[in-house]
Amino acid sequence: MAAELRTAASAPVAARDPVLRVRDLQAHFRSRYFGVTRDVKAVDGITFDVRRNEIYGLAGESSSGKTTLIKTIAGLVKPPLEVVGGTIQFDFLKGYDGLHAAPPAEVERIRWKNLSYIMQGSMNVLNPLRRIRDTFRDFAARHMGGSGAAFDRAVFDHLARVKLDGSVLEAYPHELSGGMRQRVTIALATICRPDFIIADEPTTALDVLVQKDVLGMIRSIQREIGSSVLFVTHDIGVHAHLTDRLAIMYAGRLAEEAPTREIFARPLHPYTKHLIASLPRIGDDTPRQALEGSPPSLADPPSGCRFHPRCPLAMDICKERVPPMVEVLPDHRVACHAVEGSVAA
Amino acid sequence: MSALLTVDGVFKTFARGGLFSARRVDAVKDVSFVVGDGRPEIFTVIGESGSGKSTLARMILGIHAPSRGRLLLDGMDIASVRGGAARHAFMAKVQPIFQNPFEAFNPLKRLDHYLFMTARRFGNAATVREEEEQADKALRQVGLSLAEARGRFPHELSGGQLQRIAIARALISKPRLIVADEPVSMVDASLRMAIVNQFKALRDDLGISIIYITHDLATAYYISDRLIIMQKGEVVEAGDARAVLAAPRHPYSRQLRDAVLLPDVAGTAHGPVSAP
Repeated sequence: MAAELRTAASAPVAARDPVLRVRDLQAHFRSRYFGVTRDVKAVDGITFDVRRNEIYGLAGESSSGKTTLIKTIAGLVKPPLEVVGGTIQFDFLKGYDGLHAAPPAEVERIRWKNLSYIMQGSMNVLNPLRRIRDTFRDFAARHMGGSGAAFDRAVFDHLARVKLDGSVLEAYPHELSGGMRQRVTIALATICRPDFIIADEPTTALDVLVQKDVLGMIRSIQREIGSSVLFVTHDIGVHAHLTDRLAIMYAGRLAEEAPTREIFARPLHPYTKHLIASLPRIGDDTPRQALEGSPPSLADPPSGCRFHPRCPLAMDICKERVPPMVEVLPDHRVACHAVEGSVAA
Repeated sequence: MSALLTVDGVFKTFARGGLFSARRVDAVKDVSFVVGDGRPEIFTVIGESGSGKSTLARMILGIHAPSRGRLLLDGMDIASVRGGAARHAFMAKVQPIFQNPFEAFNPLKRLDHYLFMTARRFGNAATVREEEEQADKALRQVGLSLAEARGRFPHELSGGQLQRIAIARALISKPRLIVADEPVSMVDASLRMAIVNQFKALRDDLGISIIYITHDLATAYYISDRLIIMQKGEVVEAGDARAVLAAPRHPYSRQLRDAVLLPDVAGTAHGPVSAP
């Protein structure tokens, strides 16, 4: 099983042309009371690309802003969340700076067809009162075109890709196990062969054995239909197995971004280094150290580099200036004053 | 010296359904083990959801009575704990720590309230001053202090801090055994090792045995002395933690072991960078 996952993982090289370009995105939770505006800067100046035919991983702890980031990208911007600055450009949505800025008709056209979403709780997607067959019709039929029979045929064939047989179509969600339900939602999200899929912790609620199967399926479907996937989880082990490139998020900003293999072989940001070094491994008895302090509050983040109060390499400049995200090695970007100097020198 | 906890041929059967169509579900089937025989230890119970590990924890805490078999704490049958005083004495010896620290504390109550209440009930604190002393001492054992926790509400602290306060609360009664059900799965990665290292310190410095219930084999390897692996209510493999996890014998244990997503894989044969 492990071998299968790994061979699948070393498949085609992602082309460089981006499907999604995010530039200096700022999304804040803004509250106004008695004329006083308060911002919780959940996403504060994030820039990255997701390329065609790649799985782009996003890792971060709770309250690092990763959920806000993907919600903003998916166009789910509702007060108090506001996009304060920056742009989000999809190559299938020309002329608008993000789904939140596009007219509803355009968004309607794009959802499921070009952009789909795999969520953590499969029960939040599947209507408990509708059979799986009806859920597929509700979501996907109008995007697929063709006759009802042809659509049913397509659904049936597509379910085989996630190793489900046609009998699940007649089932209600509660009759299926958690792993089967999550496979149904993966089938739903991929049946229209969208250009871009957002996966938000899709395996976190699953048991370890099921998780491995589901990850393998996401990988094989992605390779088959050539979609780009933005895969979000806090579990570094999952990223190591699945993603092509990986970005580490800390307190509303990106700390580091590189090809996954590169980041594990050569982490540069002190936070990334800590995350990887603190993972316990079977067969390794060396004591693991915890990071001092706790993740900062986004309502009142530290000045300069947001990691500086917990950073072993902190210098004076870190308290004053925000470190820019710099490409210090080919395809390897880091936001750290200490690293910027040492690698360039 | 007898063992701290003896689990002897324990079954737990739940009946589901109605009067005529009752189905019986064996949540725990014939489980036996011994914890803390001669010295304190961290004993890990590994299993997926539905393996019966939480039912087992509830029986050790005296919340459920076993359908068959016995659980002995210091040679005394846990099922025989009846009445306020006996229950009180039992709870002082065995303390729980739960998975989600945000759910374990009432969001409308201040955290120090929990510590003071526990000090009054289990620490024999008679005055406010004694309550504060005991709370502060327990918090210092987990690397916090009363000054940091005083007057704070649960939402003001991070998951890692809350979980440490939950541990401090459990320490006030000077327990012999702590039952921790998935204590780190809700805690952030950068704080997780602080909690895990805390359990080691409790064992080594305070002589407390810990039953660590988890599905995470990597942390189990890191902290446990001995472990059992459960599948569908039955123990499929038991023994020394390092020996079992290094070379699991039962097919199910091997499956679990192979499903661990090791970060090292990324460094060997993964990703576009490895393509020639």
